[in-house]
Formats: sequence, structure tokens, C-alpha cells
Amino acid sequence: MHIADGVLPTAVAAGSYIVTLAGLGLSLRTLDQRELPKIAVVSSSFFVASLIHLPLGPTSVHLLLPGLVGALLGPTAFLSIVVGLFLQSLLFQFGGLTALGANSLMMGLPALVCGFLYRRLRGTSKKSNALVGSLVSGLGVLLAALILAFFLATGGESFMGVAKIALVAHIPVMVVEALVGGFVISFLYQVKPELLGVTLARENV
Amino acid sequence: MNFDQAHVIVLNGVQTMSLFSCLFLPFFCALVAWLLKAEESTSAGQKTEPDWSSPVLDRHGQGSSLFHTWAPSIKIATLLIAAFVIVSLHTLAWALTALFCCALCVELTGMSWTRPLRRLAALGGFLGMLVVIVPLTSPVQSGETVLVLPGLPEWPYSLAGAHLALTIVCKAMAVALLMEPMLATSSLPQTLQGFTDLGLPASLNQMILLCHRYIFVFQEEMRRMQRSMRVRGFVPRTNIATLRTMGSGFGMLFIRSFERTERVYEAMLSRGYQGSFPAEVRQKITNMDLVKGVLFIMIAAILLAGDRLLPLILF
Amino acid sequence: MHHMAVRPPVDDERTTLFSLRQLAYTYPDGTPGLRSIDLDIFPGDRVALVGQNGSGKSTLIRHLNGLFLAQAGRCSYQGELITEAMVQGLRQKVGILFQDPDDHLFCNTLYDDVAFGPRNQGRRPEEVERLVHHWLGEVELDQVMYKPAHHLSYGQKKRAALAAILAMEPEVLILDEPTANLDPRQEAVFRRLLEQFTGALIAIDHDLLFLYGLCERAVVLAQGQVHHDYSFQQLAAEPQALCEHGLDFTFRFTCCGQHYHHDQYHHHHHGTHEHEVAGAHLHGESQQTDPIIELQHYWYSYPDTTPGVSNINLSLFPGDTLALIGENGAGKSTLAHCLLGLHRPEKNEGFYLLEGRPLARQDYRQLWRRVGMVFQNAADQLFSPSCREEVAFGPEQLGLSKTEVRRRVEQALELVGLSGYAKRPPLHMSGGERKRLAIAATLSLEPEVLILDEPTASLDPRSEELLLQILADLPITKILVTHDLFFVRQLCARTVVLHQGRIIRDYATHEFLADEHLQVVNGLDYTYKNSCYQEIQALQGISLR
Repeated sequence: MHIADGVLPTAVAAGSYIVTLAGLGLSLRTLDQRELPKIAVVSSSFFVASLIHLPLGPTSVHLLLPGLVGALLGPTAFLSIVVGLFLQSLLFQFGGLTALGANSLMMGLPALVCGFLYRRLRGTSKKSNALVGSLVSGLGVLLAALILAFFLATGGESFMGVAKIALVAHIPVMVVEALVGGFVISFLYQVKPELLGVTLARENV
Repeated sequence: MNFDQAHVIVLNGVQTMSLFSCLFLPFFCALVAWLLKAEESTSAGQKTEPDWSSPVLDRHGQGSSLFHTWAPSIKIATLLIAAFVIVSLHTLAWALTALFCCALCVELTGMSWTRPLRRLAALGGFLGMLVVIVPLTSPVQSGETVLVLPGLPEWPYSLAGAHLALTIVCKAMAVALLMEPMLATSSLPQTLQGFTDLGLPASLNQMILLCHRYIFVFQEEMRRMQRSMRVRGFVPRTNIATLRTMGSGFGMLFIRSFERTERVYEAMLSRGYQGSFPAEVRQKITNMDLVKGVLFIMIAAILLAGDRLLPLILF
Repeated sequence: MHHMAVRPPVDDERTTLFSLRQLAYTYPDGTPGLRSIDLDIFPGDRVALVGQNGSGKSTLIRHLNGLFLAQAGRCSYQGELITEAMVQGLRQKVGILFQDPDDHLFCNTLYDDVAFGPRNQGRRPEEVERLVHHWLGEVELDQVMYKPAHHLSYGQKKRAALAAILAMEPEVLILDEPTANLDPRQEAVFRRLLEQFTGALIAIDHDLLFLYGLCERAVVLAQGQVHHDYSFQQLAAEPQALCEHGLDFTFRFTCCGQHYHHDQYHHHHHGTHEHEVAGAHLHGESQQTDPIIELQHYWYSYPDTTPGVSNINLSLFPGDTLALIGENGAGKSTLAHCLLGLHRPEKNEGFYLLEGRPLARQDYRQLWRRVGMVFQNAADQLFSPSCREEVAFGPEQLGLSKTEVRRRVEQALELVGLSGYAKRPPLHMSGGERKRLAIAATLSLEPEVLILDEPTASLDPRSEELLLQILADLPITKILVTHDLFFVRQLCARTVVLHQGRIIRDYATHEFLADEHLQVVNGLDYTYKNSCYQEIQALQGISLR
């Protein structure tokens, strides 16, 4: 779920913008300029994947993907996510323009954490990769939901109820995403293992 | 819950119904209008193909409105400030005024309302949740009016919460309406060039353009893959097998996108790419652009001043 | 053992354009790309670069543009060694057209795409403007100059990509599969522009007949080495060399350029024997049997401006093999999707009869049980980690027992000659193998009707021959959507010609082959290739009688 315009206090919206811009600046500066077009093209596939709805009982959910993006892109995930969110806001109004900073942090930070954890824990077998992939995918959603709840709670006591409900509403998404994430990682491990753990930017040892 | 100090009004079922239908009226109207538009465009059948041989400002409408002729950088700067001003409003009356102003902006562009309405429809879920939850869960202050809904004695409906929620709804809708005049009255490359002129890194601009271009390519690839699943009898259901299949599908999508990045990059290199896109000719900033900027900032300032100095309480 | 005809390295007084000496390249994952290439290319050369998949063609052309740098050996352009420092200048003179036009069109309008190269060359804006207008005009796209590429058809994209290269006014033009998936009319645009091009031309294509009209020199690669380097006529005249390199398209010579003889076609009530030429049996009186599928006054139009099909009357009989012909955008794929139930008509615009019974709305969803389809680029629509899972996907959706699924998978894989591939990931297989896997994935559903959309696109001749055999042996009803005249002639007794969404012809294939009015109607010029066939036949001295 993306935060719409007008929900956050202006100071929080502006503050998260500044943090996001700083993060972007840092990413752009540390990355190899030549890799940027590649990250952009990969971002479009994440964008497309996040638009696909999966059936869940009488309703359907779509994936948030912070965990998977983190696992696949590592440190460059933040950049990829900001680009994707900007276009989502621009094209579909998924997430408000003034809340873009907050939304970027909500998805980008979990991606970085998940990317780090996946690389640390994934091990060398297909099973451990799939399991860790599944865990970080679920964790990504959980962290995103927590950050969302935190942002909502900055609006004051009136928003506590919404924050709690948003948190609960993310539980089914978390389960679905953990399962799909595990299947994606296990598929990639079987078919194209070099994609996992090989960042687009050359590996810094 | 203790709400002794509050002003309690007990509602019956009919009143509750009418209250909620009032709250959801804006969404309902937007949805109906959008559906009507959609119906219109399909029944009209063959839409005429726009003339692609001259530079189009935006594929959804060529126009000569004040937004279309406004230099993108000043336009974006002005409207971005306006958007932040709008989200800073606290009172419903002024938020409604802002919503009205933004609707006027859309009307001034002379463009179809289909896309602005679709934007409002996209907001429906989030805002609908706010409208229901915030008034029911807001802490009740002393001297405040609460409504007790039939069957929900534990969850008083706070009018202050309703005011807050509706203010947010108006603000979100206002900014959503402002998106079209701000970002869709120039072509995407021009709009992004506007951001670059404002100081956004040019490399980010190019990433967004590239990402936008390949969304369409991957969407087509995903659509084809889903189609080839469907003709082999696949129907998505709530079960593990569906998630496994979709997981493979996503995995394939990612692999193909990684493979494509390499090919696109080679194609770019082979045509002399050296790390940056060749610059477009920039639109010159005229005095008129600045006049428009000042005008809009003034309107925004009036909204904010009114909001803080003249807070009209509707209920 | 192997007849090698390699030109000795020459120090011609003409300046060589490219000079390659013992050029070798190995990919980072250890896959050998080039072993040792010795090759000279001169100004004005028109070279056909041919060889099987994996012979090093793509690796070689990437060296000529500086995308890959020589790991061993030398590679120089106009006497200058190609190094990191000089590639920028080189790339502005050597243009490569890659296979997938979507890779070339990365901007948000065609104008920007075509202007990208000239702008990188540092040309003045007025000149860029002139070049863009000129070249988009040349490829007949000046009416859509400001359209984003994602709103264009495949053929338009392909032409736009060519314009984007030509606008750089390169000295050397390298083409990778320029005409794959194009109809003869669009191919003619390519041929015209390439014939006009005065610089050196290097073309990779599986369609040797296209190359025949274009190239004078043939360089045959095998296992990363140059195996033959001689005139194209010599290559064409040596069936043995063609055969060794999997380029033997002479199996196609039984097709065209000869006249149709009535006595070849006859009718049987029961299949008691086979003919050398598959599809010789006319359905004739079999029309007395009921058609499996019948479309009556069927209309379909897309919600956007894409043209659909109108007033289709089509009967499909058991055992029919039908060719669906038409220019790009004529509605072939749309009609195929209609047969598949993907496109339902609005309200009561037409009837779909299955075994004589009109389909109800909800029945369309079940059509997949009866009608199978192998889509265009089906090789890219596979999504399973192994061949077994890919082929088992359909039967599993049918809810069949495990043993039955296993039986069907084995049977289907065997039918397409992929037994023993069960555990291989489809992603790592060749294009031809993946194409056959896609067919197996559909066959495992045991459909009564099989629709194939452009089955031969971008296959090398060896894979094509295999595919032809497989299709000829399949006893079920088949529909081929194709531009490939040879496959039509070999497999299909009946041909249906679509033009602007309508069926304009529905007759026996021999009538189609003799139909001279057709190119006037829809611009499908198949005659050019026929004349090429005949010339090559003359070169090889093959007598067909």
C-alpha cells in the first residue's frame, strides 16, 4: 500500500524527501555511471511484476517486491525502487507525489536490509537459497508495513487505528510474497544462478 | 471506552447509511463518471488516430492551454510548491477550495477527464479506508461531538475524526488532479528535462525515461507469457501451485529483463553512447512563464493564509 | 576431411577496412566464442556471414564495432588497432543492427531514437533534423515520427531501427537477422535500402535467399573459425559445403520455381500410404464430413485502433492442414486467437461452431482443451525450470493422474525429438529446440487442432528441416500462420489468404501458388524469392525431374 498525498504532516513528507534525495545522490555517485541504463531496464521488469495481481480468496493482492529487488540488485535496489515509485505515482497515482519520499523510504530501506541479509545468509544450496529468499521476501513486506505504520503514526493519535489496521492488512501480502519470493529464487537458482548475488554494478570485494 | 465528556448523538440505521453515502459520494461520482467515459470510448468504436507526424506534447491531448505553453521547469517548480502547500492545509473548507481550484486547472488544460478520474479511482481504496477507520479510532476529546452507530457502541464515530479524514481526502484528490496539468501537458522527456533543469541529476532523468520505455516491452512479454499459460489451461487460484507457477513466471520475466539490459546497452554503445544522452534543445524561459508561476504561487499562498488565519469550521 | 577454402591473407593495394588476424575470444563463463579468425574486409564489400548457431557470428560482429575487444590476436580498422581509446570514433562509423528492434528503440519517440546516433556524432541540430526526416521518410515512417516505439507494429519497429542506424551515415553496416518475421513487402523496403547503401555491408541471416540477392561474398564460420571465404555463388553452388554447416536449404528446392502438376494431387478416403511430398492429399470429398470448427460471419475488433478481422467464414475439417497467409497486420494472428477463444466477438457478431454446435459464452474458456496454439516467439514464452515441467504443465491443469501425465510428457517429447531432454532447463537450449519444446508443451494436451504462428521464424535451416518433418508426421488438424512459402507448399493442401481483416481467398495451395493477382491485391511479393531459387538451382545444376 502506498501513502497518498495529504496524509503525512508536511514536515515528515518534506523530511523524507530530503533523506531520499540524499540517498539517491549517494547511490548515483557511488555507482558506475555505465551501469545506470541497465538498472533502469531491470527496474521496468520489477514495475511490471508489481502490477500483476495474484488471487487471494475472494480478493487479490499484488506484490510489493522490496525483498526480491534487494536480493537481486543489492545496494542498487534503492535507486531502482525510487525510479519505479516515481513512475507509479506519475502513471497511476499509486502513491502521492508529495509522499514520494516517504514511499521511497518505506520500500527502499527494507530492500537494502533484505539485500544485505540475503547475501549474508543464503548459503550455497538451492534449498537454503530458496528458504532465505522466501524469508527476506516476507521480511521485506513486514519492514515496509512497519515503516508505513510509523509514518502514519507521525500524524498523531487519530492515525493510530489506521496504522494498526494497515499493519494487519499486510499479513496476507507478507505470506503470499514470502511464498512467491521463495519460488522465484529457487527458479532463478536452477535456471540462472549467476543472477543471484551478482550485482549489476561490479562486485566490490 | 469512556466518552462521557463528549457530546453523544445516537444514530439509527437510515441515518448511518446516509452518513456513509455522503462520505463516499466523491469516489462514487468519480467512479461512475469514469465508467461512463470508458463506456463512451468503447461504444464510439474506432477512435481516430492522432497525428503523429508533428511533435505532440502528450499522447492524451494536444493543447494550447496555459499549462501546455508553460516552460516545464517553472511549471513543475510552481505546481510542486502548490502541491506541498495543499497538503499542509488543515481545514476542510480550504481543502475543498483547493480541490475546486485543482479541478479548474484540469478543466483549463482542455484535456479529457478520463485520466484525472482514473487517478481519483486509484486513490479510492486508501482514502476509503481512512474515511471509515480514522473517525472510528480517533481518541475522543472532551466537548467533542460523537455519533454512536447502531451495533457499534464501543466505537464512537468522532466528527473531528471525520473532519480530519475528509480534509485528507480533499487534499489527496486535489494533488491527484494537479498531476495531469503539471506532468501530462508536456511530453515525458520534456517534463523530465524540467526536473533536470531544477537540479535533479540528468542520469536519473535518463533512467526514468528508459524504465518508462521498457515497462511497455515487459508488460507485453508478461502478457504473452500469461497468455501461453492460459491456453494451456492455467487458471490462477488461491493455492500453492498458482504461486509456484507465478513465481516461475516472475523469475523468467526477471531473467529476460537482465538479458535485455545487456542487449539494450550494446545497442546504445554501438550508436556512440558515452554515458549520457545527447541533450535536447531546451525550452527558453519567458517572462510569461514567470508571471504564471507568480500567479499560481499567489493562489497557493491565499489558500494557506486562509487556512491558518480564517479557519472556517464546517462542522 | 573438410574442404577449407580460406583466402590467404592479402596485402592488397586497396586499403583494407577490417583486418583480423588470429582473433580469439572466450566468454567470461568459459564458453569459447572465437578460436582463430583471419579475415579481411574491403571497402564496398558485401559479405554474408553464415554458419550454424554458436559458430561465432555474433561474437565476430561485436568485435567489428568495438563492443568486444580482442583477447588474443589482432583486429584493426583502416590499419588502426581497435582499442578502448578509439572505439568511440569507430562506433560512429560502424553501425550494427541487432535482431530485436526493441533493443534499438530506447527513447520515448521515434524522432529521438533516430536522432540518438547523429547527436552522439556531434552533428548540428539542423543536420540532425534533416537526417531524421530523410531516413524516417526512407523507411516510410515519417507519419509517425513522434510516436513512441511501444505503439508501433513489429515491422514498423524493425524499419525504425534500420533508420536509426542509417541516419548515422555509417561507412560499414552490420546486420543481424535483418528480415526475421517480416512479410515480403517490408522485406522489400529493407532490400531497397540495403541495395542503395554504398559502404561495406556485413549481414547475418538464416534466409540465404535474402542474402543471395544482396551479398557477393560469403564467409562461413564454424566453431569460431573461418571455414570458407568465397563468392556467394560458390557457396550456393556447393550443396556439400552447405550441408556441412547446417545451411542446407536445398531441401527447399523441391518447392518453388516449378510449375504445379495436377496429377500430384489426389484424394483418399483412408490414409493407406505416404507420399514423398507431404500434403499432397486434397481434402476434396472429405468436406462431406462435418467440420470440427466453423466460423460464420465472425467479427472481432480491438478496443483500440488495431485492426481486427471482419466477416470471417471458415470451416476446418478433421485432418486439414491449412495455411493462413497475409501481409503483416492482415489479421492472421487475430484470426488464430479467435479460433483459440481468446477473442470473443461482441454481442452476436458471428458464430463459433464446434462440431456443429454453436459455442455459448462460457464454452470459450474450455476451448483450450480442444485447440492448441504455439504462439509466435513461443520459444520465449516458456516459464518452467525444466523441460519436463514445461510439457507437464498443460496435462496437470487437466487434472490427469501422475502416470498419465508422465506418459504424455514422454510421448510429446518424443514426438518433437527431445527425448532425454526432460531435465534440461529450457532457457539454456537453442532457439530451434525451444521452439520444438513449445510444440511439445501444446501437444501434451492432445489437442484436436494445432495452430502454429510463424513456426519457422529465426530458425536455422537444420532446425527448419527437423520441424518440417515433425509437422508432416503429426496426424492432427493443423493451421500454419506463416510467410514461408516453402512450408505452405510442403505441408498445406489448403491456403486461406487474409487481407485487411477479411478472407480474400480460400482455395487449394496449388491455386495459391499459381495466383498472380495476389501481389497486386496485398503486395505480397513472393515471386522475387522464386527467381532466386531458380538461379541457385541453375548454379547447382540440380535437375528436379
